[in-house]
Amino acid sequence: MPIIVKLDDMLYERRMSLTELSERIGITLPNLSILKTGKARAIRFSTLEAVCEALQCQPGDLLAFDPTASAEEA
Amino acid sequence: MPKNTYPDTLSLSRKVLRVLKELNLLMGFLISALLIASLVAAEPVMAALGVRRTGDTSTLFLGMRLIMVIGIVAVPITQRVLGRLLSIVESVLVGTPFVSANAVRLQQIAWGILGLELLHLAVGIVAASVASDANPLALRWTFSLTRWLAVLLLFVLARVFEQGARMREDLDGTV
Repeated sequence: MPIIVKLDDMLYERRMSLTELSERIGITLPNLSILKTGKARAIRFSTLEAVCEALQCQPGDLLAFDPTASAEEA
Repeated sequence: MPKNTYPDTLSLSRKVLRVLKELNLLMGFLISALLIASLVAAEPVMAALGVRRTGDTSTLFLGMRLIMVIGIVAVPITQRVLGRLLSIVESVLVGTPFVSANAVRLQQIAWGILGLELLHLAVGIVAASVASDANPLALRWTFSLTRWLAVLLLFVLARVFEQGARMREDLDGTV
């Protein structure tokens, strides 16, 4: 998928585990894991807002667009 | 509370549909037996069905047999409709009603009901063409807007389900 989720990098930068983020924003670990691995097909603004708030970052820090990535790798 | 009453209603529907499927098969068997009996021993069977021996009854006999054949044709269609409906009820029971398979099932039910309605019309046409004043047939076709509307409603509902299934699929990947 051309949209790259950089949640893993942000978590590393903030020295935060996925479990901790899950507890902070109230989104289940499996759902966050789907987001982290780039398997999500869509992200709610409310989720994006919660993640940005918890990690003190901007949506652009979490998402990137790579046109060379295959659209079928969903 | 609706949450408590729905599963019971669905379980009841499942039981009723299973019984109806059995009854439909039994009906098919009985009509087939009647058709065979009418071919083997026409006079006594038709007399038992209330046909009076006045004038030429050969056309009437032929018409009645044709109606029996239509009745037999209706059995697999009804079985298919009931089977698809049962599958939908079971999918609701396990909590996955908005799947594309149910949209397909609803469309098949719609076609089935349309087929049954056309067979009903065929029975009416046959009955009207073979009945006479001397030998009237109690089978009469009457136009029912409700039944035709039900067919239309089922086709619309199938499309609604198709859209619903697509939205559900989208939602499944949403975080």
